[in-house]
Amino acid sequence: MADPMKIRASAKEGITEVKILMSHEMETGQRKDTAGALIPAHFITEVSAEHNGKQVLAAQFGTAVSKNPYLAFKFKGGAKGDKLAVTWMDNKGDKRTDEVQIA
Amino acid sequence: MSRFSKATLAAALAIGLAGGVTGALADGKYSGVGRAATPAEIHAWDIDVRPDFKGLRPGRGSVAQGEEVWEAKCASCHGSFGESNEVHTPLIGGTTKDDIKTGRVASLAKGDAPQRTAIMKVATVSTLFDYINRAMPLTAPKSLSNDEVYGLVAYLLNQAEVVPADFTLSDKNIAEAQARMPNRNGMNTDHGMWPGASAARDGIGNGGKPDVKNTACMSHCKTEVKIASLLPVYAEAAHGNIAEQNRPVGPVRGKDTSGKAAAPAAAAPLSENAAATKLAADNGCMACHGTANKIVGPGYNEVAAKYKGQADAESKLVAKLKAGGQGVWGAIPMPAQTQLKDEDARRLVKWILSGAKAQ
Repeated sequence: MADPMKIRASAKEGITEVKILMSHEMETGQRKDTAGALIPAHFITEVSAEHNGKQVLAAQFGTAVSKNPYLAFKFKGGAKGDKLAVTWMDNKGDKRTDEVQIA
Repeated sequence: MSRFSKATLAAALAIGLAGGVTGALADGKYSGVGRAATPAEIHAWDIDVRPDFKGLRPGRGSVAQGEEVWEAKCASCHGSFGESNEVHTPLIGGTTKDDIKTGRVASLAKGDAPQRTAIMKVATVSTLFDYINRAMPLTAPKSLSNDEVYGLVAYLLNQAEVVPADFTLSDKNIAEAQARMPNRNGMNTDHGMWPGASAARDGIGNGGKPDVKNTACMSHCKTEVKIASLLPVYAEAAHGNIAEQNRPVGPVRGKDTSGKAAAPAAAAPLSENAAATKLAADNGCMACHGTANKIVGPGYNEVAAKYKGQADAESKLVAKLKAGGQGVWGAIPMPAQTQLKDEDARRLVKWILSGAKAQ
């Protein structure tokens, strides 16, 4: 199981700003280790965010995204105390969901 | 208005009330010059916190309180999670749970982190506290209250997963945080940058010995530098013109890889006269000899005139050039030019005897 994400969500004047720091290796599959063997690709393919069960963001990630990706976005709606869940899925089928309350 | 100037103001008021008493105390060695600093002034100035927490002022701050201050005053430059690379290098990241156990950041030794973060390098939590307290925020240093600094340190440690989210940092438990710092065993004082005696003699340095062990070559030294290999021409400009990407001052200038500078040099080798002129200038001959006038030594025209028609003039002058001389043209000696290669010396003499033309 991967490490938890760091998520900060704050609502202001009807707009919620979300900042996410994911913890992931994001191996491209192009690098070689010290022995010269290819390191297999391991990266996040899909990210989605749900506000009170309703999807507000769906994103496709690829190998061009850095290790431990940082993502920030805003959406209309959302109030203090609402639940925001962020999920990522990687190419090995690993999955992680973290939930925070909007501040 | 900073905390410091408020304190000085208070101190100044206190002096006013105390009257001439403090003035009288200031005498001693420098009578009539200034006055002794008041305890309040020293308190305002003496803010450093040492690794053993000497100088730390009592206070407390929770991760949650720190987060609030962080979002308001720090996040715009350092990022919400201390991860930002936009303004400064990242503060947080690159440390693992194992590092917290061992007290040595593994990726520092392995070198696999894309960038060294502050938390990877810092060995003492007192450094974090002192630096934030002293210098942050950059636009208003010393504007944070003591409790705010405690909160910010707690928040940063929480982001680095050193302390849990419900942690409250205070002067009482800061030693616990120190015991979990990821790079706490990463500090090495066994080098000359630290003051005092060696560690064996209860000091923290090594007695001031430098950590470079270079010794001057005394025998069988290489006389000239030979370049063993060069980047192929097609690869030189892989990163653009290096000369344009470096400052025009300082030790690193960068080679001109635009391709323009190399072209003329390769195109035409210097003419015999031009090469000799350059040789004379490079070796400092021109400082004492003019081509057509006397400076300290004789002008080249005078030399050429004196030796005109002598068959052995060339070999004689080559020997003189290399050994130096005195008395032929006056009392001022010419130093021996041992750095000249034989062929260069011969070229110079030929040039002088032929009239020392520039082209």
